[in-house]
Amino acid sequence: MLLHYATGLGIVVVGGVHLFTVFLTGPYLQNLAFSSVMMVYRNILLAVTLELLLVFVDYHALNGIRIILIEFHQGTNWERGVSWVLSVAGVLLLIYGTRTILIANALA
Amino acid sequence: MLRESGLKVVLITGGLTEELKRAFSGWFYPVHYNLERWAYALQRISGIAVTAYFLAHIVETGNVVGGLSVWSVPSVDFASAIWTATFHFLKNPLFDTGLIVIGFMLSYHAINGIRLTLAEFGLLQGKPSRPDFPYEPKSFSKAQRAIFWLSVLFATATAVYALNVFFGV
Repeated sequence: MLLHYATGLGIVVVGGVHLFTVFLTGPYLQNLAFSSVMMVYRNILLAVTLELLLVFVDYHALNGIRIILIEFHQGTNWERGVSWVLSVAGVLLLIYGTRTILIANALA
Repeated sequence: MLRESGLKVVLITGGLTEELKRAFSGWFYPVHYNLERWAYALQRISGIAVTAYFLAHIVETGNVVGGLSVWSVPSVDFASAIWTATFHFLKNPLFDTGLIVIGFMLSYHAINGIRLTLAEFGLLQGKPSRPDFPYEPKSFSKAQRAIFWLSVLFATATAVYALNVFFGV
């Protein structure tokens, strides 16, 4: 549970940076144009921030769902099943998101 | 042994959906709720809403490089065309309204989450005392209440800001 709080506070920081780059560095629609988006991914510091945000939110969100589900129903098998399914889902999401960041960072 | 475990499985699968449904609908049945319980229900609902947005956002941003089938560096023209199409598909009043709701949920979840983190480590909690009428929970101290209302205020401000960004009012 300590990790849940730690990632939560981490999200407040790196999520703040993420929202700042999208909404407060210029007109919102302009910032979401392909060339502007690429500038964010090519900036290594911002790309690292996005990867951190991905890891934190991935853990925090799926662990949150896990907490809700094991609060709804108690049982060893249930808890084990829920944990496994959500862990696999979390790893898949992490792989897909990291792929986006790595390829976008390398895109000329 | 086999019979026992077989019976257990039947019992769990028989009532599980009902049990989950009942537990979930409890959040939306706010009878005799105190403020702390409202904060709890809203924290859970906003968490699920933001998780749903997160999943969609990972898929959406995946289109920046061309979508699910791209696993090596594509041509800039290809990625640009896919992203621009995605962008135009998502830029409509329905999704913008959804983003305003997500903005509210996200801000509430963040500030109320800070309150819960403080509570987890015993900060800003009331001192234990004899329970007297009207039995207000000592855990939900004045400072804790203040942060809860701050989260509602911040969430509303975010929604207003988002309304201005997406609809220019």
